[in-house]
Amino acid sequence: MGGGIFDVTNTSLVFWELVSFAILLILLYRFVYPVLREQIQRRQAAIEQAIEEAERTREEARELLEEYRRQMEEARQEARRILDEARRQGEAQRERTKAEARQEAERIIRQAREEIGRERDAALREVRQEVAEMVIQAAEQVLRREIDREEHERLIQAALDDLEAEVAGSVSGG
Amino acid sequence: MTATLSLLKLSQEQVREKILHTWSSAEKSWVIPIHIGPLNLSISKIEWFLFIGVAVTFLFLFFGSRALRNRPGAYQVLVEETYGFGRRMLGGQIGPEGMKWFPYTLSIFVLLLVLNLIALIPNTYPVTSNLSFTGALAILTFILTQYEGVKRHGLREYLKSWVPEGSGKLMAPALWFLHLIQEFTKPLTLAMRLYANIIAGHLIIFVFLSFILYYGIYFAVVSVPLAVVFYAFEIFVAVIQAYIFAILTQVYIELAIYGEG
Repeated sequence: MGGGIFDVTNTSLVFWELVSFAILLILLYRFVYPVLREQIQRRQAAIEQAIEEAERTREEARELLEEYRRQMEEARQEARRILDEARRQGEAQRERTKAEARQEAERIIRQAREEIGRERDAALREVRQEVAEMVIQAAEQVLRREIDREEHERLIQAALDDLEAEVAGSVSGG
Repeated sequence: MTATLSLLKLSQEQVREKILHTWSSAEKSWVIPIHIGPLNLSISKIEWFLFIGVAVTFLFLFFGSRALRNRPGAYQVLVEETYGFGRRMLGGQIGPEGMKWFPYTLSIFVLLLVLNLIALIPNTYPVTSNLSFTGALAILTFILTQYEGVKRHGLREYLKSWVPEGSGKLMAPALWFLHLIQEFTKPLTLAMRLYANIIAGHLIIFVFLSFILYYGIYFAVVSVPLAVVFYAFEIFVAVIQAYIFAILTQVYIELAIYGEG
């Protein structure tokens, strides 16, 4: 046997195969596989770390975004609150101003009325004085005599009362 | 070849010689005769290509593991993926303890792949198409399988684990005997499968091309395309057979570790 396509008992091939395969295994186990294993493990660790870091960063970004959203919402509410406040204050201010103006107007009208009243009273008093004197003179001239003081006063009073009643009637009537 | 072109229309016997030339002449080419006692340990073309394959295997993996960088180039990725392939696809077929054997089966895989691919280069010797080579490798698998089985279970328990649990008293010896045969057919089929696939692939290509010698130069129109198709197919066979040999070695060893129950 030996040789050809059915080379079963090729001792030299088997021998050299075992020798070279053993050497190959020793070399690979010693110099290649540990290095490769280490390298792959190192890269795996690096990748895991990178993924972890990326996840952490994303989480942080998410939190930050949430924070911003919350702040924005707060700011919006604050703005709305301030606007409402301002509107309410404006409203109140206008109401107050209106009320003050009304009070002022009433006060002025009241003062004017009182003034008018006082003026009228004063005028009436003057008129009465005047009329009394005129009546006395007229009466003296008509009567040409001195009436005693007491009678005099009484007559004047009566005349004034008449006049007053007449004036009051004309005022309330007019 | 130029000489043979002028000698077209060879006889059948001459064609047969041409087809088998690779295998019949290898042992007599490039010889360094070494004889130790009755043993013939001469180095011939067969051994030379074995050495080339071993050297290429080692250098491919060695340089891939030396030029390591964190951002790997294509070559480094190839080597690392080869290692990762061994870890994922070869190791731990049945149980995690088998993982410790994957560097061995991975070495077999890469060596066989390199030898198979080198064999596709014209005028080389396909080492994996030699039954002595595949046989010796299969016997190594057999020895490692039995070693792991005995180491794991002890000899008595290991031999007992060959019989499935629950088989009757009558059937047990028969089943045990069947398993005994199986333990020997495993390495036999392992050796035959690789050898037959590689040698058949080469023979088919040679046969197709030899039609040119027999029928004349015009037959090249048919022969060459067919040979090219089979050549491409042989690349696929080279990869798949290396993988099958490696994974079966791994599975046999792990079966011995975990028993068949």
